[in-house]
Parts: sequence; structure tokens; C-alpha cells
Amino acid sequence: MIPALGLLLGIVAGLYFDVEVPLGLQPYLPIAVVAALDAVFGGLRAVMDGVFSDKVFVVSFVANVLIAAFIVFLGDQLGVGAQLSTAVIVVLGIRIFTNVATIRRHLFRA
Amino acid sequence: MSLITDLFANALDEGYAEAAARQRAAGGPEPSRNRRRMSPALMAGLLGLGLLLATAALQVRADAGIVSAERESLVERIGLATGHADALEQTVADLERDILEIETRQLDNAAVNSELRESMATMRSAAGTGAVQGPGVVVEVDDAENGTDGGSSGAVTNVLDIDLQQVVNGLWAAGAEAVSINDQRVTAMTAIRSANDVILVNFRPLEPPYEVRAVGDSRTLGSRFLEGPGGQWLLDASSTAGIQFDIRNVDSLTLPAARAVLRLAQSEENT
Repeated sequence: MIPALGLLLGIVAGLYFDVEVPLGLQPYLPIAVVAALDAVFGGLRAVMDGVFSDKVFVVSFVANVLIAAFIVFLGDQLGVGAQLSTAVIVVLGIRIFTNVATIRRHLFRA
Repeated sequence: MSLITDLFANALDEGYAEAAARQRAAGGPEPSRNRRRMSPALMAGLLGLGLLLATAALQVRADAGIVSAERESLVERIGLATGHADALEQTVADLERDILEIETRQLDNAAVNSELRESMATMRSAAGTGAVQGPGVVVEVDDAENGTDGGSSGAVTNVLDIDLQQVVNGLWAAGAEAVSINDQRVTAMTAIRSANDVILVNFRPLEPPYEVRAVGDSRTLGSRFLEGPGGQWLLDASSTAGIQFDIRNVDSLTLPAARAVLRLAQSEENT
């Protein structure tokens, strides 16, 4: 319940402060969101599995976001930014789906 | 494939299992008791996720707003520029009419000049800078009815610049004395070409249906055109691509004048 409150607070803060994202960073924002989603669902699943660890969660969250953004940045420099974005989205998307499926099994036993 | 299989099997960060194993080895509390300690880190993570989500969403909204605003201002500028160009063109047309009037008045003053006046009028009509009127034919060309249904045969179902070029050439060959397409007079300086699927005549974009008017002997012009290369081209286009066309004789046609401004070219006799 408290984490959900955190999510709500984050959304409200984001809407309220209306942060101006620098033009150069804009392509990496969607990727960062997907990476953060992956880390959060991974953490939720770890909670359900009873193996949650603060340190692992925080490190995986930050590292996920940074590495995803870096891969896309590298792709942009090499001229294959769009393809690498797709690759990142596919990999993280599969992980999110698998983790959510496990969470679902934990919650509904189905 | 093994990569994807691996992805499905180990979706959870291996760090969690390792951390749990370490803790168990160190004789820490049972992992299941960690549940209560999860809040601060998880909350911070979700806070970050919420921030990112909201920022990204706002960014997309703002971008869309900027793009549509840019578009609107461009449309507005195009409208203004077009209006300005139209006004200028109107001025030019007015001035040209004034010039013509003055010329006629000057020539009228002396009876000797009537011959000169007539030859000037003839030259204007021939060059296309004077409006002409007379009998002739109207060739109407239009895109195929079932617009995009050219897929099976691969044929283009729109009227192309080459079609109009062939029609105009065919009309000249059939003895036309003056030709216009959708009120754009075809002169010695006229180009019929397409840019982005739009046909330009005298650098003016035209819209289908294209009405090609030709002044000439209405008794022979139509039939000679149909039998000549232009008519054959249209028949071919009609059978392969479904281009629609219609040829009819008209007793009296009026063709507008074209504006031909020569800035650099000078008549050799004058120099």
C-alpha cells in the first residue's frame, strides 16, 4: 500500500513541477521509464518471493535506467538508435511480462 | 533462441537470490521477514518511476502541442503569402491591361498603324500572351474512378504529367492554334511537370479533372487528335489504368492569356 502511495506521489510531483527535459535527453526518457518499470516489477516480484533486498532493488533500478539510456545513446551515435531502442524495449518488455505473471500467480494463485 | 528462453526463465534479477542466499549464510533473519523492511527503498523506486512517468507523459503532450502550433503557424504563413502573391498578380494583370489600352490608343491615333496593331495582336495570340477566342475542342482528362484500386495490375490510376504532355502535344500535332489546361495557357515557356503527385503547369498546381482546351478547326481537330499520338495515348491510358477522358467540340472557346516576362532574353533585331 505504501509503495503505491509513493507511485501516486511521484506522478503528482512530476505533474506539479512540470520538469523541462533538455532536448538532448528526450529520446532516452521513454526508455528510462520502461527500464524503471522493469526494476519496479522485479522488486515487487522479489517481495512476493520473499527475497527482497533494498540494496539490490536500488542498485538495479539506477543501473537499469542508466544502462538502457546508455545503450540507446550508443545506438544513436552509431546510427542504429531506433533498432537498439526496440531491442531494449523487447528485452525489458519480456522481463516485465514474466515478472508480472509471477506476481499475478502470487496474488490470485492462478 | 536460448537467449529468449533464458530471459523468460530468469526474469527476476539474480541479485535478489544472491542477496537472500548471502543473508541466510550470514545467519540473518529469514528472508520472509524482510517484507516489512521493503517500504523505504521500494517507495523511493516507485516515486522515481512516478516522476519519470509523469515527466515523459507531459513531454509527449508538450511536443504534440509544439508540433501542432508550428503546423498552424506555417499554414497561416502559407495563406498570407498566397494572398500576397494573388494581390501582386492582380496588380500585374491590371497594369498589363493598362499597357494594352495605352498601346491601342497610341496606335489608333494614326490610320497607318492599324496594320501594326493587327500584327501585334496576332503575335500576342500566337505567343500566348493575349487571350484568344474561337472554335475548338475540349479534352477532359480525369483520374480513374476507383482511385487507389490499381494494386492488382500495378498501374497508376492517376493522371500523370506525361499524360497531359501527350495530350497537349497531340493537340498541337492535330492543328491546334492555342492550348490551355485548367485556365493555364500553354506557351513556349510552359512546363508540364509533376511534383509530389501534383501536376504543375506554368508552376501552378492543378487539380483533376484536367480540362485541356484547344482552339482550332473544330470540324477536324477532334478527330485528328483522336487518331493521332495524343488520342492513342489516352486510349492506352484508359484501357490500362482506367483514366477517364472525354472529347467534345465547342463552337466558341475563350483561352486566357499567359504572362511571359522576359528579363534577360532580348529580341535580336532590337540589339
